[in-house]
Order: sequence, then structure tokens, then C-alpha cells
Amino acid sequence: MNGNDTVSVTKVRDVLMVTMPADPDDSMIDSLQERVLQAMERYSPKGVILDISSVETLDSFFARTISETARMVTLMGGRTIVVGMQPLVAVTATQMGLTLGDLETALSVDRALDRYGVQASGQKGRG
Amino acid sequence: MSTATGNWSTGELSIKGDGDIVVARRAVRQAATQLGFSQSEVARIVTAASEIARNVYRYAGEGVMRWCPVEKGGQRAIEVRFVDHGPGIANVELALTEGYSTGGGLGMGLPGAKRLTDELEIDSKVGQGTTVILRKWRAKEGHVRN
Repeated sequence: MNGNDTVSVTKVRDVLMVTMPADPDDSMIDSLQERVLQAMERYSPKGVILDISSVETLDSFFARTISETARMVTLMGGRTIVVGMQPLVAVTATQMGLTLGDLETALSVDRALDRYGVQASGQKGRG
Repeated sequence: MSTATGNWSTGELSIKGDGDIVVARRAVRQAATQLGFSQSEVARIVTAASEIARNVYRYAGEGVMRWCPVEKGGQRAIEVRFVDHGPGIANVELALTEGYSTGGGLGMGLPGAKRLTDELEIDSKVGQGTTVILRKWRAKEGHVRN
């Protein structure tokens, strides 16, 4: 679990792994967009896996930033898969009427990596 | 409601920066949890409070959030009240309409908070400020509402 420190961006093979902390403030959420776009330019990856499994509260500002970032990544020629939304977060977002419909999602990082065709070396199992 | 671990169900905090939105979320989470709300109810009231706290900071610059339990007819609610002395809302009805925003946002703040709570009251005067009150009633025992 990522603590409430910062947005982490790591290149894994040909994919950017981006992990959000549990309760980010607005400037941390703003930095998500900036750091993802910079890393897209620097590494030219196939795309982004955005891990929000620690996130406890997804409000409209956070949701909008995720949607916008995904759209920008698309414009740059990449793909974004949002991973690990907690059930309570999904229920709340739906009831609130947040439109995240155009986002590609996956249940786990492993499944998202499968879609990118990335195999973890020396490990065939998946979660 | 005071317990050995302290009473978090009532309190007040000032909202002056975007870090205070995080603090506001934590305070409401702690209060609603202590008042016995289910996890899904806590998620809703926390998300609603986050929307309003951000509005206070973005539109008014600063304000105060106060929260307390409310009881009526054996039912218990959490009430969260936001008071600011910002520009006020000229047309409250319009501000409660989805997609309407003057702050460059999605226009989801107020309508979203309204959907997530049982009661949302707005009292606003242009040039004087805005008070928003959120109330969420606890689901009855043995009646699980999700």
C-alpha cells in the first residue's frame, strides 16, 4: 500500500505504472496529469496503468482529472487502464453521477499488464 | 457520545487551503464512523463534504466547516455545515443543476453532494456569503441500505 505521500510513476517494461496515494490533496492530483504527460514524452510507452486501489474518496475533481489525463494520453498515442477501484468508491461515484464511462478499467494490475501483453518474467501465475 | 478514544462526532475546522479539504474529509470520516454509519454511508457523506469543502476554498477562499450529530424521532443524522463569506451564489437553483459551473469545473459539486446526502440546504446572499448544510440520516437497524 502506498502511503499518503505522493503520486508514484514508474516505467515497467513498456508501460507506465502510476500509483495514487489513499487521500491525495488537490495539488497532488494536479501533479498526476503533469507527471504522466512528462513520462509519456520521455519514455514513449504503450500506455499507462493507473492504480487507484488505495483511493478511498473519488470526488468530481479527482474523477475529472483522471478522465482528462486519460484523454491526453490518448492524444499522445497511448492507452490508459484504470485499475483497482474499491467497491465503495465505485458505488459512490455511480450514485453521484460521475461519468467515467469512457475509461478503460481492469480489476487488477496483473490483468491490465496482460492486456498490454506484458508477462512478468519467471512468474506465470496471475491474480 | 464521548468514548475512551475521544469524541470526534462534533467539531469545527477552518478551510483555508487545499490541504484543508483533505483534513475535512478525514474529520467527517471519523465523525460518521463514530456515529455508527455504514461504510457505504461514510463514503457518501465524505465525498459530499469533499465537494462542498472544495467549493468553499475555490470560490470563497476560506470558510469554516462544523459538524455534529442530530437526532429526530429516534433517528440519528450527521450534519455538516459550511459557512463562508465569499461572493455568494446568484442563482442557487441553477447551481444545483448538473453541468453548470462558474469555476471551470464539471459543475458536479453541488448536485453531486445533493445526490449523496439526504438533505442539502443552501442559504446564499450575493456579496455576503454562503452556508451549505448537509445531512445524512443513518439507515435503520436491520434495514441495510446500500
